[in-house]
Amino acid sequence: MELLMSQVINAIMLGCTYALVAIGFSLFFGVLDIVVFCAGDVAIVGAFAVAFLVSILGLFVALQGALPPMIATVIIVFVAALFTALLMALMYRLVIRPLEGRSELMPLLSTIAAGFALREIIGIFYPEGRNPQAFPQMLPEGVLAGNAMLSWRNIIIIIATLLIVGLLYWFVNKTKTGLSIQAVSQNREAAVMVGINWRFIVYITFIIGGVILGVGGFLVASYFDVIRFDMGSMYGLKGFCAAVVGGLGNVYGAIVGGLLIAFVEVFVSAFVPGGTAYAGVAAFLMVLLFMLFKPEGIIGEKTIEKV
Amino acid sequence: MKTKINGTNGKIISLATSLGVCLALYICLVSSLTAALLILALGLGLIIYGERKDSIEQVYLSVEKNKPIVLGIIVLFVLVLPFLLHKNNYLLHVVVMAGIYAIVALGLNFQVGSTGMVNFAPAALFGAGAYVSAIAAVKFGISPWLGILLGMVGAALLGLIFGFPALKTRGYYLSLVTIALQIIFTQMIVNTAWLGGPNGIPGIPPYELAGFSFKQSLKILGLTIPYQINYIYLTFIFLGLTALAASRLYTSRTGLAWNAIEQDEIVAATQGINLTKEKLLAFALGAAFAGVAGALYAHYTSFIGYEDFDFSKSLILICMVLLGGMDNVSGVTLGAILLTIIDEKLRDFADYRMLMYSVILITILITRSQGLLPKRTRKYKEKSTGMPCVGQTVTMGGESSGSLKN
Repeated sequence: MELLMSQVINAIMLGCTYALVAIGFSLFFGVLDIVVFCAGDVAIVGAFAVAFLVSILGLFVALQGALPPMIATVIIVFVAALFTALLMALMYRLVIRPLEGRSELMPLLSTIAAGFALREIIGIFYPEGRNPQAFPQMLPEGVLAGNAMLSWRNIIIIIATLLIVGLLYWFVNKTKTGLSIQAVSQNREAAVMVGINWRFIVYITFIIGGVILGVGGFLVASYFDVIRFDMGSMYGLKGFCAAVVGGLGNVYGAIVGGLLIAFVEVFVSAFVPGGTAYAGVAAFLMVLLFMLFKPEGIIGEKTIEKV
Repeated sequence: MKTKINGTNGKIISLATSLGVCLALYICLVSSLTAALLILALGLGLIIYGERKDSIEQVYLSVEKNKPIVLGIIVLFVLVLPFLLHKNNYLLHVVVMAGIYAIVALGLNFQVGSTGMVNFAPAALFGAGAYVSAIAAVKFGISPWLGILLGMVGAALLGLIFGFPALKTRGYYLSLVTIALQIIFTQMIVNTAWLGGPNGIPGIPPYELAGFSFKQSLKILGLTIPYQINYIYLTFIFLGLTALAASRLYTSRTGLAWNAIEQDEIVAATQGINLTKEKLLAFALGAAFAGVAGALYAHYTSFIGYEDFDFSKSLILICMVLLGGMDNVSGVTLGAILLTIIDEKLRDFADYRMLMYSVILITILITRSQGLLPKRTRKYKEKSTGMPCVGQTVTMGGESSGSLKN
């Protein structure tokens, strides 16, 4: 029972980190109908940005003198998230916008290539970038109620995800810009006709997505304690799977999908003998089955193609 | 058509084209990366100029008319090439790899180019051929020659399995499914000890012909030529065969059906095309090509490991098809050879290799996403006059659909 509980919490944490990158995929797919494959790499750039600010510039220690550690952490993560937001907007301008109106394979390939480039840029320009880096632990130590799994780190990862989802919900449903994003994802032409600046909304979406990805990168790095320059490909892929399993373009589906994939991975490696090596295989097999039998995803709407 | 091509003119054009392509490839091979990219840009410029002036079609026509001249020059070029490069093992190796990847790319083109089904797992199919042939030779002592056949069949069977999702999904969903299959393939190889696991399979025997091992260097006319020459000839014989098969398929009813599916599945189905059969055929045939190439690769390098067949290799293979020009046999072959050369040239830059590769890729995607030699409009001879009728496209309504029925 103890083991089961701890695995459930473990899966929820992992699922939260997957959900954040899946939300990114869903946001971008919503407004542009394309898959931005470098999302995972952008998130890992965010993690490296945090590591850079803390380990190399020593910002955390400097801020700690004046501010409580929690606020210092938030500030640092916010700076890194701003960086990833700008990076995402740049990605849109450089590799997605020039390919608008071409076959759907083109932006997919160009963003995959951009992901490769980001990975390599980290590997080349970050000091010792090709080696795994210890991620600075900024979340408080200690456990809640004497339960080893209820450590503050785990709780904060889950709460931060909930907070981001809540903020996103508020932004998308209650603000004018958020409603414009919804309008553009539902029907671009109609949105333009009622006077929405479509291009501006796309940039806003990429910036918001970039912020979410940056925080996601911070959380996934805190979860693993170690960051590698090529983590982004797997992270992005799992996030993409989560987005598709949940229903591409649906933000809430992304959360469900992320949790589902994390549960499959964690439970296969914990409860199947010799399953650790096959955890990834099991997750991808599940995605395959979903694609074959329920391609619209858990929450997604079934699209009916008209001739 | 502005000027009518007469016999001599056409001969000169096709002679110049084939010589020019061979020469450009040779210079790309021996010179530095900058020169190779410059030549690529120059060639692209010529092609674009030809497209603007509408003369590219004349070149195509005259090349098709004078096939013996063109093929003769290409064969001669391949025959002579090892002697020109006999001091440089590495360049010879690049030539072998270019040939092998060209075979895989031709197979991949059936799915991505002709039928419009994105397949992100060509490296898995390539790897299936390599592993089947290598295991057969190392564990069961089966002759490598038979291994080519086994690799082909093994890869084709895997291709059939990979093709099943394509019956139900398409677009992004199909690309995700094939990415998932590719990663499952890589992870299964890493996790299976019998397949060598993360250590790969060492000591794969080379081909032998009547006691002559292909790993022996060749002595001709007092020149000692590294053993790669054997593999160059072997690979290019297979490349020639696969290119022939691919172009025959392109002109056949199957190729036409594939194009119809690419344009619109539903309309194709209403025209009586069996979607299940044609899609699975595209996957199985493409995989068979990849399997042959994989078997050649395994016995050429004598060592294979999972990292030779991972997702990034798949991406490179897709780019070969895309940059060469989808559904254009000569384009795909050229694209594969050029990209292999560029990839190998980038090795000089060690750490910066993948970065430069992706930057080059993005640049080409943005500036010319239709590829070096884009897909051509199909032309059919009218039975009465025997004249090619220009501008008749494969639309599923009208005349060309009529030719599908009978």
